[in-house]
Amino acid sequence: MTKQGWTMSRSSTGLLLLAAVLSVVGSGCGSGRVAGPEPDLAAAEKLREVLTAGEVAGETNVVAAATGTGWATLKGRFVFAGTPGDKRPLVVDKDMAVCSKDGLKLYDESLRVDPATKGLADVVLFVRKASRVKNPVSTDPLVFDQKNCEFLAPVFAARVGQPVDVRNSDPIGHNTNISGSSFNQLIPSGEATVYTPNAETGMPVSVTCNIHPWMKAYAVFRKDGYVAVSLVDGSFAIPDLPAGEPLEFQVWHARSAGGLKLDQPALQWSPKGRFQVTLQPDEVKDLGTLEVPAAALGG
Amino acid sequence: MRNALRFAGLAVVSLLVTISGGCAPTPPAFFRLNMVEATSPSAEKDSISAEIALTAEQQRQVATILTAMFGSPDKPECLPETGLDSAKLILAAGPVRSDIVGRKNGLYREHCVHCHGITGDGLGPTAAFLNPYPRDYRPGVFKFKSTERSSKPTHADLVRVLHTGVAGSSMPSFALLSAGEVDALVEYVKYLSIRGETEIALMQYFFELDDEDEGKLAETRDFLVGEILEPIAGKWASAEEELIEVPEMPADIDLAASIAKGRELFHGDKANCVKCHGVTALGDGQANDYDDWNKNIVKIETKLAALAVGDADANERRWAAEFREVLAGDALRPRTIPPRNLRHGIYRGGRRPLDIYYRIHAGINGAPMPAAKGTVPPEDIWHIVNYVRSLPYDFDGELGADRAVAVQPSSVGGLVVSKASTASEEN
Amino acid sequence: MKRLSGMFWALLFLAVPVLGVATFAVAPSINVWLPKDVSAHGHEIDSLFYFILALTGVVFVATEVALFWFMWKYDAAARQGEKATYIHGSHTLEVVWTIIPAATLLFLAIYQMNAWANVKMRRPDMPPTVEVVGRQFEWRLRYPGGDGLLGTPDDLHLVNDLHLPVDEQVLVQLKSMDVLHSFFLPNLRIKQDAVPGMKIPVWFQGTETGSWDIVCAELCGWGHYKMKGRITFVTRPEFDAWLKRKTAEQNATQPVAEASAEIVAN
Repeated sequence: MTKQGWTMSRSSTGLLLLAAVLSVVGSGCGSGRVAGPEPDLAAAEKLREVLTAGEVAGETNVVAAATGTGWATLKGRFVFAGTPGDKRPLVVDKDMAVCSKDGLKLYDESLRVDPATKGLADVVLFVRKASRVKNPVSTDPLVFDQKNCEFLAPVFAARVGQPVDVRNSDPIGHNTNISGSSFNQLIPSGEATVYTPNAETGMPVSVTCNIHPWMKAYAVFRKDGYVAVSLVDGSFAIPDLPAGEPLEFQVWHARSAGGLKLDQPALQWSPKGRFQVTLQPDEVKDLGTLEVPAAALGG
Repeated sequence: MRNALRFAGLAVVSLLVTISGGCAPTPPAFFRLNMVEATSPSAEKDSISAEIALTAEQQRQVATILTAMFGSPDKPECLPETGLDSAKLILAAGPVRSDIVGRKNGLYREHCVHCHGITGDGLGPTAAFLNPYPRDYRPGVFKFKSTERSSKPTHADLVRVLHTGVAGSSMPSFALLSAGEVDALVEYVKYLSIRGETEIALMQYFFELDDEDEGKLAETRDFLVGEILEPIAGKWASAEEELIEVPEMPADIDLAASIAKGRELFHGDKANCVKCHGVTALGDGQANDYDDWNKNIVKIETKLAALAVGDADANERRWAAEFREVLAGDALRPRTIPPRNLRHGIYRGGRRPLDIYYRIHAGINGAPMPAAKGTVPPEDIWHIVNYVRSLPYDFDGELGADRAVAVQPSSVGGLVVSKASTASEEN
Repeated sequence: MKRLSGMFWALLFLAVPVLGVATFAVAPSINVWLPKDVSAHGHEIDSLFYFILALTGVVFVATEVALFWFMWKYDAAARQGEKATYIHGSHTLEVVWTIIPAATLLFLAIYQMNAWANVKMRRPDMPPTVEVVGRQFEWRLRYPGGDGLLGTPDDLHLVNDLHLPVDEQVLVQLKSMDVLHSFFLPNLRIKQDAVPGMKIPVWFQGTETGSWDIVCAELCGWGHYKMKGRITFVTRPEFDAWLKRKTAEQNATQPVAEASAEIVAN
């Protein structure tokens, strides 16, 4: 009896152990995904009623049309406060006969500082919302060219509806891929194609070539056309801005993430890279030299 | 008898313990927030930083708005502006069950969820094992369609994808489902896509807010429907008008001459096909580009890697650590997209001459394949189509003539000449 | 009361043949039986099945009843005090109950050879009607097209939807693109593993028009359960017309107007 009892309890222990293991395994393993916050279901119900109710008398987001007259110009100059490091060489592994011809080396042009004037090129400024526009959309095409396996303009700006003449001055074919617009077109050597942006970008979008993946540029398209890209010496000018209303400008550089943040309390420069000015009719407002610290272009 | 009772009791207890461990009631299905976008809400994934990442409160607002506009996986809602048929959505949504007339409901969950995910994010449980990855509907980009590159697919395009599957991928053919079931699934895919695009638009709009909005989106009809939803739904609605115009291929075409002309164009510098597809069309011209879904992850990972070596402040480093956690669960390891090996005779978008015409004319949206529209005239595109279709059956001449023979040192000494691998007659 | 112990266990064991026979008796009426046979050779296989079922059924019931009888009759509780007889076993009995089953099995092995050869060995001398390639998780089909040769540009490529002419011998060339699959046609009593690297001929003849199942019968991965296809038998003129229509669709150079309805309505 004792021997039998002992045998029984050994097998029952074994069974319980097995059951324990099975229940652990059976409960499954977690998925490891970060779950976002839960929605507020009550608020969602109320919001759904609002959305399905048709026209609602409530707060609308309409900004009261500013009543100003006249036009003004804004200008300034960006300088880089710091020493730009050596430019990063690009890896060129296709069509070397053209792209590495005669020892040609290609570099990352996202930070272009003029050694003489310390001017910072390729800074983009645009007006976020303008109530009125002076000039209609120009039908003169803006030329955007590529040669020696790089885009000749690291950053270019155009107005929505303005034709952009995308050219290829290389002896080899390229394709130009403007992200966000689904424009990705083959451009044979020596030929050109016209791209007319039909929607404005928020911030600038990247332009690449899929045949030569190291090629990169940026493009920004705005409806009102109040956009400028700083030149080699860092200077910019935006003419024909509507006077008499507060204009909020967004500033961007390829090396700054989400807006170029400068320390300019006089202009109330926001952390999102924005500042506001109100211009008088026929005023030419010179913002002067705007210093861009190296830290702002660290990202 | 006593032993028998003991044994039986033990069996019952162990069974109960096993079952209780594994059979908790299943929580109801829920849509997951697009956490990758919430942590980097920008169209350009190059310019992201801790500052633009959404706060938990903002994420909650987006989740609430989406619930209001689109409901839940069990109970889909769609505003009339979306142009969707809610009867079809009900057929496709929810758990698998039969409705009162005996029709199968829960089609999406039965057929699609394990790859495409409950949110249509291409992150279902089996997704990580597949090559290519299943489609993420949320950016609203679809590759295989009959419309111009930047347009959405038509309803018929999506029905065709479900019907023929995507050859060469794990997307199966659902030809055995009834027409009504396929229609319901297509409608649900559009629903998930519109929902995903709305989510991304909402998240990216936070950057556009003025300071007085205090980081909260306006919960008004004018904004949510007028500014956010209608442009998205409008693109879907206008797809039918953006079909690619396909000129007739002449019925009396001399096929051999067309193939020869196509070969010239393929190797020429107007179409530039060989630059990516390789001189032997084996798809070996390039190996380092990504499709749009993977490219975003690569850009994010590059950015996070740069932060790790630079001197970032504590905020940025915390954000980077959070982002890595998000990527670990919400993003699949990025894969390059190799150009198609045209000698296999396996065409993902369909093998009809018409399908290949579409691919060449408009390129492939979301992939590096560019559009030949405007640069290569339509008759020439037909010549390239005929050449491409002849490639899998082309067993002599081409490979020998074009391919520079790869020469490798052998271990024995001397050189071993290796021939390019060809597609066997079995595709 | 002591008798109950023996009764309980003996009756428990008697339940096995009783329930076993009962389920077999009930099964056909609740549709848990052989699927409908629409093939020319199927009746041969089904007869074999019934013959073996009857043979083994009889032996099964006999042995189980014998077991029950001995448990009941020689229950220790009912025969208190009786001593069991110790014997060395019976050599004769052991020989008998080895020889008889061996002979039965040998008989079965020889009896079924013809049926097996018909399905697996006597390959008809004809070119393949269609090539079926198993792939995770679908059945890819390839018809030879106008020139009658597989592997030429006029081949018709389809997925999962196999059409064949009825009342005609067909030869399927079975391959696998990746792992082991098994081409299983329940209604035609055909099951053949698709082995990667091999081209395996499968032949059969359908006797009734209609659509039947193709299922995968070799675990091939996570999608094995849904690797379903459909085999449809139609008359020869319908089959030719269908081939022609599908080939024209495959060669389409212009979009079809009613694309949605057209491609879904097979």
